[in-house]
Amino acid sequence: MNNGSTQSSAAIVFERITKTYKNGTLEVPVLHGIDLVVKHGEYVAIMGPSGSGKSTMMNIIGCLDRATSGSYHLDGEDVSDLDDNALAAIRLRKLGFIFQGFNLLARTDAIKNVSLPLFYAGIGTKERERRAVAALDEVGLGDRAHHKPNELSGGQQQRVAIARALINDPAVLLADEPTGNLDTKTSADIMALFDKLHEQGRTIIMVTHDEEVASQARRIIRLRDGLIVADEQASPTTAG
Amino acid sequence: MYLDEAWRILVANRIRSLLTILGLIIGVGAVVAIQVLGTSMAGAVNGALGTFADNTFIIFPDATQRNVRQAAIRLSDLPALRAIPGIQDALPIEQFQDLVRVGHNVARERIGAEGAIPFNNLPAIYGRIISSSDVALATDVCVLPYDAYTHLFPQGGDPTGQSIYVGPHRYLIVGVLSKPKQGFLNANFGGGGISIPWTTYVRNYIRGDSIFAARFVTADASDIPALELAVIAKLRALRGGAQGLAYQMFDKSQVTGSINGIFNAITLVVGLIGAVSLLVAGIGIMNIMLVSVAERTREIGVRKAIGARRAQILWQFFIEALLLCSSGCMIGMLIGLAIGGFVNAAFIVRLTGTTVAIPFAQAFGIAAGFAVIVTLAFGTYPAYRAARLDPIEALRYE
Repeated sequence: MNNGSTQSSAAIVFERITKTYKNGTLEVPVLHGIDLVVKHGEYVAIMGPSGSGKSTMMNIIGCLDRATSGSYHLDGEDVSDLDDNALAAIRLRKLGFIFQGFNLLARTDAIKNVSLPLFYAGIGTKERERRAVAALDEVGLGDRAHHKPNELSGGQQQRVAIARALINDPAVLLADEPTGNLDTKTSADIMALFDKLHEQGRTIIMVTHDEEVASQARRIIRLRDGLIVADEQASPTTAG
Repeated sequence: MYLDEAWRILVANRIRSLLTILGLIIGVGAVVAIQVLGTSMAGAVNGALGTFADNTFIIFPDATQRNVRQAAIRLSDLPALRAIPGIQDALPIEQFQDLVRVGHNVARERIGAEGAIPFNNLPAIYGRIISSSDVALATDVCVLPYDAYTHLFPQGGDPTGQSIYVGPHRYLIVGVLSKPKQGFLNANFGGGGISIPWTTYVRNYIRGDSIFAARFVTADASDIPALELAVIAKLRALRGGAQGLAYQMFDKSQVTGSINGIFNAITLVVGLIGAVSLLVAGIGIMNIMLVSVAERTREIGVRKAIGARRAQILWQFFIEALLLCSSGCMIGMLIGLAIGGFVNAAFIVRLTGTTVAIPFAQAFGIAAGFAVIVTLAFGTYPAYRAARLDPIEALRYE
């Protein structure tokens, strides 16, 4: 066991996390016992070929799934054995998701999309709008507040999605191939935004196939066959 | 928030939404229309018969029987019939038409026999109605109905104290009745003409013994069914126990009862049709909600990922189903009210002369009740399915 201060100061602490899927009587082990500590303010890329277990790991980090064994502390809170509704509450308070396909609600303007988590948190309309406008300003889309997804470019949609992920001031920002649907130029813009968020002290965990994208992160974790095979600090230029 | 999101979804799929609620529109429309018609019909019947005294009934021989002549009621039967316990009075129903003259005005009017307890409870606008002493003394007085009054006194004014002449007979006008409601149910026999005391009528006009029909006055309206049978039994006894003689009866509760019975049957049939169409509509709504949940699996995944609890997803789809059902039911209600209101205005009011208030509150209650029931019965399962989705699988859904 690590000492308590490490757990409470870290954003993510995995201790011997395993995940085994049951397919009828057949048991398919995906994660074989992962130990991992991500401190607050780190910018981590998780890489690995398909089947390496990185999606499963992302789902467990994102509290969408539970580990089969091992313990998981998120922002000092033990979330290993919570039920579905408690996990939903954790996602609402502590996590922000950014998806490859943006996943905005169609026919719904940027403000409403961005403020959706606040609606689920039970915050009133006025306060939701105020904070949504602020979050859109932060990602440089203050002037697109009333545009609907189909009136926005791919890069702009991803910025709206990032604003949505930021609105509840999450402990960890989770991005799953955030530039996978974007062209090179727009990808660079989005990566610059991630850099800016990192500099502001956000904890970012990103799953990607793309070495170039991953190289923007300060730490790269490589998975293979359900185990961490490499964990490297990318460049010494920025402290974590 | 839930409501305007639901509204946005329904408007975005407006054709689908409209087709989905069509069944509800038809079902609720039919039920509301029949409800409006039932209420106005019952009200119209009561209104039209309102002036026909409750505690009176009429017996007349069935005109289709072979021995009509033997079955005929006779003046000489009346004392025996009056002696039946519970019967307060028995009097003949007879009338004829003749020219009636007042000064220079002449009009063709009906003249009928009347008792102290009148056939129709119309108030007098001038003077009084026939009294029991008029009947006892067979006085030469008359009471004019409103239409005869307008024919004979086109200039208006109080005619009491003047006399009308019918052939060789002269009758003193003692009163004028108020205007009755116009309607087919008021075209009743015995009522409606110029009334003279029935004793006077018998003396002046009835030559034989048999009469057209007899009217009976009872102490208590609830005794009428039993007394009708007692009268018919007595008549058969007076004819030497001829069991085959057929008589018909007429009273207020019988008429309202038979009309209400017809309407209850129609209401039942339409209610069944409504229930079946609501069942079919409900299944359609459930189907489209399941399609909607399947189409928006990914959206549900996203909502769950950003922290929506099961109850919040359930509620969202439940509200959507409720909005769908209530729009259908409210549109159906409006169409039902329009159809019911039109038929009411075009036929019932015209035929019966009685206007009945449209039962808006009841119609709204039916529509709201159906909306809630159909939503609960058919919207809950799709919403539950949506709430139960696994977020990981939902996010992966293409």
